[in-house]
Amino acid sequence: MSADHEAVMLALDDVSLSYHSGREQFDHGSHHVLDRVSLEVYEGETLGIIGRNGVGKSTLLRLMSGILAPTSGKVYQRSGKSCALLTLGLGFRPDLSGRNNARLAAMLQGASEEEAQSHLEDIKAFSELGDSFEEPVKTYSSGMRARLGFTTALKTHVDILLIDEVLSVGDAQFRQKAAQAMRKRIKSDQTVVFVSHMEAQIRRICSRAIYLDAGRIVAEGEPREVMRVYRHSMGDAMPPKNRGR
Amino acid sequence: MIECRAQKEAKITCLMPLPQYLRLMDTMARMSLRADAARYYFGYLWWLLEPLLYVAVFYVVFDLILDSRRADFLVFLMCGKLAFIWFSKSVNQASNSMVANKGLIGRINVTKTLFPMAVIQEGLYRQVAVFALLLVFLLTSGYSASWTWICLVPVILVNYLMIVACSFVGACLVCLMRDFSMIITLAMTFLLFTSGVFWDVRDLGDPQKSELVMAVNPLAFMLDAYRQILMHASAPDWLHLGLIAIGSVVLMALMVWYIRRYSQFLALKVLS
Repeated sequence: MSADHEAVMLALDDVSLSYHSGREQFDHGSHHVLDRVSLEVYEGETLGIIGRNGVGKSTLLRLMSGILAPTSGKVYQRSGKSCALLTLGLGFRPDLSGRNNARLAAMLQGASEEEAQSHLEDIKAFSELGDSFEEPVKTYSSGMRARLGFTTALKTHVDILLIDEVLSVGDAQFRQKAAQAMRKRIKSDQTVVFVSHMEAQIRRICSRAIYLDAGRIVAEGEPREVMRVYRHSMGDAMPPKNRGR
Repeated sequence: MIECRAQKEAKITCLMPLPQYLRLMDTMARMSLRADAARYYFGYLWWLLEPLLYVAVFYVVFDLILDSRRADFLVFLMCGKLAFIWFSKSVNQASNSMVANKGLIGRINVTKTLFPMAVIQEGLYRQVAVFALLLVFLLTSGYSASWTWICLVPVILVNYLMIVACSFVGACLVCLMRDFSMIITLAMTFLLFTSGVFWDVRDLGDPQKSELVMAVNPLAFMLDAYRQILMHASAPDWLHLGLIAIGSVVLMALMVWYIRRYSQFLALKVLS
């Protein structure tokens, strides 16, 4: 697999994750989120993970970033490499201004106070928030929140970027701008794991793809081929316009 | 794959350098204070208004209605109640802090102690203003400043350590089972009645009983220590204070170890 890639940055070896919910439910309250998943992420590649909602995509990213530990199996990360999970709205407090929220979010992602401070004007400009950047986030529309969230996340510099659906929100114009910024980042040899349920995004951005269903890897390889399996398993039930999104 | 693993895979860690941890804790605390102040009309004035209103309620009930028979009851009450509020409010809020930050815990691999510590730091900043007000009140009520007041520094420090240790225990318990949030609130009410907030632990009639209450309940000893220093210009029992400090540090160290060791398990409990 992928012999032209130099080295593995991140690997999951026979990883399963299950947990018990507080109360007795089906299967004695035990939920199996991932079931014996093995995969590798190579240096400089953009790996796309596609699957329906609730199949374990976000959990997979949480395992990769070390937020969660597997119930069984192992997660390996190349020594000395940093890794961050980017999601929207990281730690936004509705009573704080966009500026203060952006500063706090950057610091939580590992930036020093000075670094966080130095990014603020860039974030203000890219997010196109204008004077609203100084207003409390509770006054923002969902589109404005998405813009602030994406721009704050974009400023994080790590070796392995784990991206959870960040290009799927906001208004059409900003979505295009965000996708462009993300592609620029990807082209600069950034190692990326990109989660989405949108086929077109995976096809455009990723060099390799994985189709996840019910906590298991169903297909892995060239994005077009994986998308074909994905569509087939969905029973071609989706209307054509959704497939192309 | 073999090549990569030969480089010895790094254990994914969430530790951050101490200076960055402290700065982040401080930033989170200050921003939370700012957000709180922006929410209310009286803003930062609530730092003082809230504890004073608590004192006023207790004063009306225990002095004006139940007649405490103490000429200095208001000062006595303020010395105990203001320190108690610091402890109870900090421990209560810090215990719920990890669960309250579920969104963040699901997105970043950050040291979990950061959440209770940010809440504790927020409480500390408020308490500095409250203690300043208490000292001003004492001076205007006929008490004169004494060198013994310097003893407040170690007492406040030990009180802070107690808050941190209890908050870490509370935060883990609430992660493991949300029901502990209710139990902790109830425990604070129990402590309010058993720590000598509105009654004097030295007035129990039997000195041995007083000693026992202070030995069993460190908070009763701490509230008494504040009063001995501020009202009677008398230093606290250093040995007792030292033992509470050691106990708090040991408990704190154990909890830091537990939270680090089981960080991902706690994250799963918060998210599930």
